[in-house]
Amino acid sequence: MTTVPVPSTELTVGRQGHYAGAVSRLVAFAADVGASWGVYAVGVLLVNAALKLVTGHSYSFGQDKILSFVTLAVWDFVYFAYQWAVSGKTLGMAILGLQVVTREGGSISVRQAAIRTIALGICLLTLGIAFLGIVFQRERRALNDFMAGTAVVYDWDARAARLRWMARNQGPLRRGAEKKTPAS
Amino acid sequence: MTPNPIGSKVEQLAQALAERIVPLIVDAIDIDALLDKVDVEKIIERVDVEKIIDRVDVEKIIDRVDVQKIIDRVDINAIVDEIDIDKLVEQTELGSIIARSTTGVLTEVLDVIRAQGVGLDDFILRWGNRLIGRGKRIAKWPDGPPLLVERSVVAS
Repeated sequence: MTTVPVPSTELTVGRQGHYAGAVSRLVAFAADVGASWGVYAVGVLLVNAALKLVTGHSYSFGQDKILSFVTLAVWDFVYFAYQWAVSGKTLGMAILGLQVVTREGGSISVRQAAIRTIALGICLLTLGIAFLGIVFQRERRALNDFMAGTAVVYDWDARAARLRWMARNQGPLRRGAEKKTPAS
Repeated sequence: MTPNPIGSKVEQLAQALAERIVPLIVDAIDIDALLDKVDVEKIIERVDVEKIIDRVDVEKIIDRVDVQKIIDRVDINAIVDEIDIDKLVEQTELGSIIARSTTGVLTEVLDVIRAQGVGLDDFILRWGNRLIGRGKRIAKWPDGPPLLVERSVVAS
C-alpha cells in the first residue's frame, strides 16, 4: 500500500487564518460553479416537469436565451451571496477550507457579501486580469475583494489534519499493522 | 537557706566525668553490629499500622490543603508548551485514537486536497513573484489579516 508522506509543519500547522492562495481559490471556485450549475440544471428540469404537468405543454428554458441567462445570473447571485452572508464560505470554499473575512479578519456583512458577488461577475468579464492580485498583491486580494473590503483566508484545522496524517502514516496504528504482518 | 557547698562540688564532678566518659563509650559502640542484631521485621510485625491509620484524620489534612493555591502556582501553559505533540502522537496510542475517532474516507480526502492546495498556492506565489523580480519581497508580506494572525500567534 502506498502512503502519502506527512506534509511539512510549515505547510499545515499554523496556516489557519493566513491568506489563501490562487490554486485553492480557483479549485474552490470551480467546485462552486459545478455545484451551482448542477443545482440550477436540476431546478430547470423540475420546473419543466411541473409546467408540463400543469399546462400539458412542454417548455424549455433553452428556447429563451435571455430568460435562461437572467435566471442563471440571479441563481448564481443567490448561491454566492447567501452563503457568504451566512457563513463566509461557499460549498467549494468549505471543501477547500477557505473563508471570506473582512480586511481586518472579522466576519463579513450581508452588504459585503452582495457587493463581493456582483464584483465577482465584473471580475469574470476581465478574463482573469482582475484576479492577478491573488498572486501579486501583498494581501492576496482580487479586484472583487478590494471592492467589497474583504480577504480570503485558510480556515481548515490544519493542526488536527497533521495529527490525523501522522496517525495514519507514522503512528502506532500503522506500526501495529506492520507488526501483525508475518515476517517475510 | 544556704546551698550545700559539698553537694554542689559533687554535682560538678559528676558532670565533668560524664562529659569525658560518654564520648568514650559512644566511640566504643559498634553501631553496625548493634543494628545487625535488631530484627526490623519483628518490629514491623509488632507495629499496628491499622491503628496508626485510624488515628490519622485524613479529612482534616485534606481540609488544610489549599488546592486552589497549588493550581494557581502551576503554569499549565508552560507545561503544555513543553509537550512535543508530534512525538506524543508517534509514541503513544493517542495517534490511533485520533485516527479512529476523526478519520473517515471523506476527511482523509479533504486533508489531502487541502494540503496539496496549500503547497501549490505557495509554489505559484513564490514563482509568480520571482518571475517579475519580487521573489525576496514576498517574505515581508503579512501572513494574514491582523485579527486572525495576532490571534494565532497568541494561541501558539
